[in-house]
Amino acid sequence: MTIINQEIIRMSTNITLPAVSRRTLLGATAATATLGMPAILRAQPAPVKLGILQPITGALAQDGDLGRFGAVTAIEEINAAGGIKSLGGAKIEMVFGDARSNPEAGTQEVERMQAEGVCAIVGGFASPICLAASQAAARYNLAYVVDVGAADAIVTRGLTNTFRFGPGIGIVTKTALANLVALNDAAGKPAKTVVLVHEDGAFGSGLAKLMQTELPKLGFEILETIPHPTPARDMTNVALRIRSLNPDLLIPSSYYGEFVLLARTMQQQHIRPKGIYSVLNGAASNFRFVKEFPEAAQGVMDCNHWADPRKPNTAMLRKKADEAGKAWAYNIPLNYSCVRLAADAIERAGSVDREKIVAALTASNFAGHCMPYGATKFEGGQNQGAQPVNLQVQGNDIKVIFPAAFAEAKAVFPFKG
Amino acid sequence: MKRRELLFIFALLAALVLVPLLASNLLINFLVTALIVALAAQGWNILGGLGGQISFGHAAFFGTGAYVTELLQLRFGVNAWLAALVGIGVAAALGWTIGAAVFRARLRGSYFALVTLAFAEVLRILANALEFTGGATGLLLKLQPGAAQFQFESRAVFAWIAIAVVGVVLLLTRHIANSRFGAQLVAVRENEDAARALGVDIIATKLRAITLSAAITASAGVLYVQYFLYLDAQIGYGTWISIEALLAAIIGGVGTVAGPVIGALALHALGELTKGFAGSITGIDLVIFGLLLVAAVAFAPAGIVGAWKRYVGGRRNA
Repeated sequence: MTIINQEIIRMSTNITLPAVSRRTLLGATAATATLGMPAILRAQPAPVKLGILQPITGALAQDGDLGRFGAVTAIEEINAAGGIKSLGGAKIEMVFGDARSNPEAGTQEVERMQAEGVCAIVGGFASPICLAASQAAARYNLAYVVDVGAADAIVTRGLTNTFRFGPGIGIVTKTALANLVALNDAAGKPAKTVVLVHEDGAFGSGLAKLMQTELPKLGFEILETIPHPTPARDMTNVALRIRSLNPDLLIPSSYYGEFVLLARTMQQQHIRPKGIYSVLNGAASNFRFVKEFPEAAQGVMDCNHWADPRKPNTAMLRKKADEAGKAWAYNIPLNYSCVRLAADAIERAGSVDREKIVAALTASNFAGHCMPYGATKFEGGQNQGAQPVNLQVQGNDIKVIFPAAFAEAKAVFPFKG
Repeated sequence: MKRRELLFIFALLAALVLVPLLASNLLINFLVTALIVALAAQGWNILGGLGGQISFGHAAFFGTGAYVTELLQLRFGVNAWLAALVGIGVAAALGWTIGAAVFRARLRGSYFALVTLAFAEVLRILANALEFTGGATGLLLKLQPGAAQFQFESRAVFAWIAIAVVGVVLLLTRHIANSRFGAQLVAVRENEDAARALGVDIIATKLRAITLSAAITASAGVLYVQYFLYLDAQIGYGTWISIEALLAAIIGGVGTVAGPVIGALALHALGELTKGFAGSITGIDLVIFGLLLVAAVAFAPAGIVGAWKRYVGGRRNA
């Protein structure tokens, strides 16, 4: 700038302008350009590319769409607030990949994201997709933040690039059982017999196995365990079997479509146990179910991921989801939080260097999310504070009934529908 | 014509070998996935294309190859290469057993197709339920890049191995197509009674075909598990691989030597290209993919190889 100023002063004081040769003028122009460039670069730092992997087609499309919405909302918010400050306000650019509800497509999308230069990947949703995609990312030491995938193998393989923000099956089952006992005891132990219904994939079968071991120890009698495939087009046989067994409690672990089918069939057949206590159920904590089938949904309890209603960004996020016409489900706050967690790691790493981002995630102490977990603390890739909550459909709302610290309503159990 | 076919096979293999040298990992990953499907389709083609025994359950062989390979490594600490060979052998034995049961019962046509589908489903449910096979949680091979573990740091090396296996099967298929066994297979496909009258041992011919077919499809399963390092019942024995194998062979050209490989490459390339049309409507790429597939079957019922032969034949006659 000084050269330009001198030129201007010289030009303005020298009326006849004899010294301004073409060479001087060119030199001044070049100097302006050279000096001006860093300022322009500072104003527009290169965007930080973040991979978002979700299954938006295939059997898991609904979950993937909600997950993508949560991730996009977080990215928009971060960018509107000035981007990654330690990188000069660099904006986050989403590189989206459709995992097509299968692990091969998920792996192929990780390869594409790697080719496009992402610095971290968030998402996956289903356990098989998370397992394959995080392994593919590990080849490039690319940090991978798992949003939902509950299979415990995701974080027990020793991959240093993989971080799970939410709870795994082990912790969810432990919490679900503790809360079930508390609930039953408080109501005078009305539930003694149980029927387990589960999808026959990794998550449903894993949960059913744990339940089969643990429930008898807690004084519950398991009358039968009924597996079903995903997708299943008809649940009549399952419903009729439940009627003939007449359990006090039904514990289903299925994806959205199958549980909706089961709940509707049970309603049509007037099958009403004392309680439906689902674990990580795709429908029992989804407002679409409550809105479309309010009668079938009444009283259904679920132990699942859920946003902390006390946190300010939860209300904001829910408002945005309502405005966008998206059903409020855990995928939205989980992915929103995971993206913010990844952005926080990039912020603290002050770089898009992969090792630094992995190190920043390992040492992460992030509290700016909207889940009821406290600040993040990763051990072996698992966020130690991650825990599910208990919910119940009451009226046209889904209320938190456990833990007591932020319960919005008291549990209605036994439920008389 | 015969020499031209051999030349084409070598040209195709040479072109494939060059891809990993020039392409990014993205393209190599695409190539490996397509070649795994190509291998499964080549296996299906021996029985379904040359022998006319349409199977809907080749997943039974794909899954068995994959499961045996992974289980031997995980549960018994067997070397990965040896496990792969045993996996292929066990799947071949399974092929023979299924064949012995089904062909002796004289099941053919749609009955044969349904029985193969049932076998694959039974195996899927068993693999999903048994503790030994990892249940629904599946089996994970530890990521340990190294030639001894049949895992490679570079995706290119794996691609070359897949190309080599596809190449061997291409030459084997060509050899069979031109051999006495190939002629017997075609005779069985065209008219079983006439073939029997000519002295062809129908059951022995079919058994040889299903055993070989199972072994080749199992090698696809072995490559899958060594590449993705994860396997569950849906991946191993799910209908997806039976359909992909069948579709690749049909699109490429049923009963032709190179048809399944060309079909698999074309299908996967089409799938990747249509991804570019995704735009704002979710799944529109899959709709376009489906429409192109319908068009391909409508306008080239004999597959890509058949359409090409017709085109070349038409030009020569013109």
